[in-house]
Amino acid sequence: MNKILSLIKTDFNTTFGLSSIAYSIKNKKNRWQLILFGIAMLSLIPSYILIVKSLSGMYDIYAQIGQKSMFLLTGFLASQILVFIFGLLYVMSKYYFSNDLAHLVPLPIKPSYIIGSKFVTLMVSEYLTSLPIILPFIIIYGTKNGEGPLYWIYSLLLIIFLPIIPLVLASIVVMIFMKYTNIGARKDLIRTVTAILFLIAMIYIQLQIQTIAQKSLVQGSDFLVNLIKDSNLLVKKLGVSFPPSQWAALTLANTSNLIGIINLLTFIGVAIITFILMIFLSEYLFFDGLIGNIEVSASKGRGKKIDTSDLSRETKPYVALAKKELIMLFKTPVYLLNAVGGVIIFPLILAFTNISGGDESLSKTIEMLSVDMGYIALACIGFISALGLINNIGSTTFSREGKCFWIQRTLPIRIEDQILGRLLSSLAVQVLGILALLVSLLFIVKLDLLSIILIIVMGLLGSIPTTQIGMAIDILRPMLDWDNPQRAMKQNLNVLISLAVGALYLGGLVFLTIKIIDKFYLSFIYGLIAVIFILSSIILFKVLKVLISKQFEQLE
Amino acid sequence: MLKLKNVSKAYGKGAIKAVDNISLDIRPGEIFGFLGPNGAGKTTTIKMIVGLLKPDEGVITIDNVNVWEEPLKAKSMISFVPDNPEIYDRLKGIEYLNFIADMYGVSKEDRRRKMDYYLDLFNIKDAVGDIIASYSHGMKQKLVLTSALLSDPKLFILDEPMVGLDPKSAFNLKEIMRKMCDGGRTVFFSTHVLEVAEKLCDRIAIINKGKIIALGTMEELRNSAERSQSLENIFLELTE
Repeated sequence: MNKILSLIKTDFNTTFGLSSIAYSIKNKKNRWQLILFGIAMLSLIPSYILIVKSLSGMYDIYAQIGQKSMFLLTGFLASQILVFIFGLLYVMSKYYFSNDLAHLVPLPIKPSYIIGSKFVTLMVSEYLTSLPIILPFIIIYGTKNGEGPLYWIYSLLLIIFLPIIPLVLASIVVMIFMKYTNIGARKDLIRTVTAILFLIAMIYIQLQIQTIAQKSLVQGSDFLVNLIKDSNLLVKKLGVSFPPSQWAALTLANTSNLIGIINLLTFIGVAIITFILMIFLSEYLFFDGLIGNIEVSASKGRGKKIDTSDLSRETKPYVALAKKELIMLFKTPVYLLNAVGGVIIFPLILAFTNISGGDESLSKTIEMLSVDMGYIALACIGFISALGLINNIGSTTFSREGKCFWIQRTLPIRIEDQILGRLLSSLAVQVLGILALLVSLLFIVKLDLLSIILIIVMGLLGSIPTTQIGMAIDILRPMLDWDNPQRAMKQNLNVLISLAVGALYLGGLVFLTIKIIDKFYLSFIYGLIAVIFILSSIILFKVLKVLISKQFEQLE
Repeated sequence: MLKLKNVSKAYGKGAIKAVDNISLDIRPGEIFGFLGPNGAGKTTTIKMIVGLLKPDEGVITIDNVNVWEEPLKAKSMISFVPDNPEIYDRLKGIEYLNFIADMYGVSKEDRRRKMDYYLDLFNIKDAVGDIIASYSHGMKQKLVLTSALLSDPKLFILDEPMVGLDPKSAFNLKEIMRKMCDGGRTVFFSTHVLEVAEKLCDRIAIINKGKIIALGTMEELRNSAERSQSLENIFLELTE
């Protein structure tokens, strides 16, 4: 028991950087950075309030049709599915790719101890994902419905146990996946491709289940009668895609009777049993996927004669830097999945929802409203510019250097080349996003050539300022002290801050466009947006030059 | 060549002076050894020279170029090999070498010639097609050394360069350092291996608790010590 407590304590400390935060607070120079960071987080609050308000409206709609519990199900489903999806990524890197494994594996401890302690830290990280989502649902339902103390006690228990089942599922999936893909020299590639396919398949299946459930619900002739008779009908029908969420919703919707406590006990019981099962399985699965995973096949120089004259090429510094960034992005699984996978998956989801959406699909809507192609292209440009934020390349470009940051700081690289090279790497990935979007659009609308050209050119133009915003935030407080590439990208708060600031920038542009869209010709609006993109790129370039040269000097 | 004038650096609100008002003047064509016990301020000093740590006070110049005022100009004259070779482990060896050469603007012909020579010398030519993550500590060290030599630096700065090298590579490195200095280049390195310092260096400085406590040729150090003795004894006596 002492062993596992000590493991958890150490893992906690290293994951959340408790000791280094304490050090930062003591250090005067870092203190203002923490304060600045706090302010940035506060700037997120307005948009959060907006979301919560719209949720409150959603409750009213469900209340009108007498299916209030459906509101709870939506919350639990959303948070548990997100915990599961993030869980897959977190589990993969924390169980298999973190540097502390090299120290932990030789120690005389059981695999289940390592997994157990890592699971606990992951669970705490997952609260950061689940709480912001589930809390508004629970609070809105509770206050609007005037629930008693039992509701809040049940809620607390549900919130505590909420991440366990999805995280256990993610752990088991990843452990099995790693065990059976621990083969060959190209395992990184095999794994990344399989993982992306898996994610796409999962989203597709989820959407299918939802559609089938919806259809079966509406098809019966006595649907309306049932709807009135059973206030939990929707939850029972639609909760099938993830039963634990159903149990949670039914618990809170029935605090006054036995169904509530039964569902609560089921929820907690299943969480505990699956956790024990996962720990038990880890004894058999974990090391098989891990050993030989840390080791890349040792370089023996197997007689493969390298001719340096073929391989030495002269390139411009910024091109060389972009190339290096891209190689690192594509060869580090975590980066590949998050940055490159992100820009490809988002447009594909769009296509999938459309294909499986039936009569309410986007293409039908567009057809019905006979939307001008120019507006669609405009929306696509906004989407691509947003991908420039979502790909996280700008907002982690310096953090990803990690312990290798010394190389950038001791080499004679011009600041302009630093900016240009890093920007180019993001744009290269954006090209993939644009391609994915164009392919997805094939399923939705028929685009003309002009719109395609506009989307490509303006999309790339719009990606420049959004990437630059990320870079500016990342250089202000680069997260260099990580032992696991996951932390540089997914647990990096710069990503979140950049998203917030970038959303303000793009949100402002969208607001402006909506205000003037029926007052001017579309071509004028395109021109105006292009000018804004170019101007903000130039301004941000100048800001970045100052920030980078200052930070390269002062970082310690 | 390399001049440090009244350079100081303190950590933790100035409470701990890691480097305390040191001045050094290293001449062209010199191999300069920088010695001291653990935590004496060696790495801090080196970091200030190569642009990784800004001094609180004092001036550092390379060929009369202020390192902190014209960093680009200064950095293009230096090559730096750190004590721990943390490099981009997802790149192939050859990709890393090309990347570094691009940053220094080394011509294609030059880089091919130097790569051929140094990769052969360090016996890692067959490994440069593999990703760096597959290298041993020593191989990484050799790759960093090779990359640092591609630009033919005027000033070669190394932090504990012998750690992790096999005897033959350590010997080769010493030869390279000697040859560079014969060609008018300057080498500045820190080490714990007193034997290397004794045999290789034209001059030696010993730093302790942030202060230079001895500076001169081996001969001068011996003369200033109480009894004529080995560098080891001088070192132990001074840093007690």
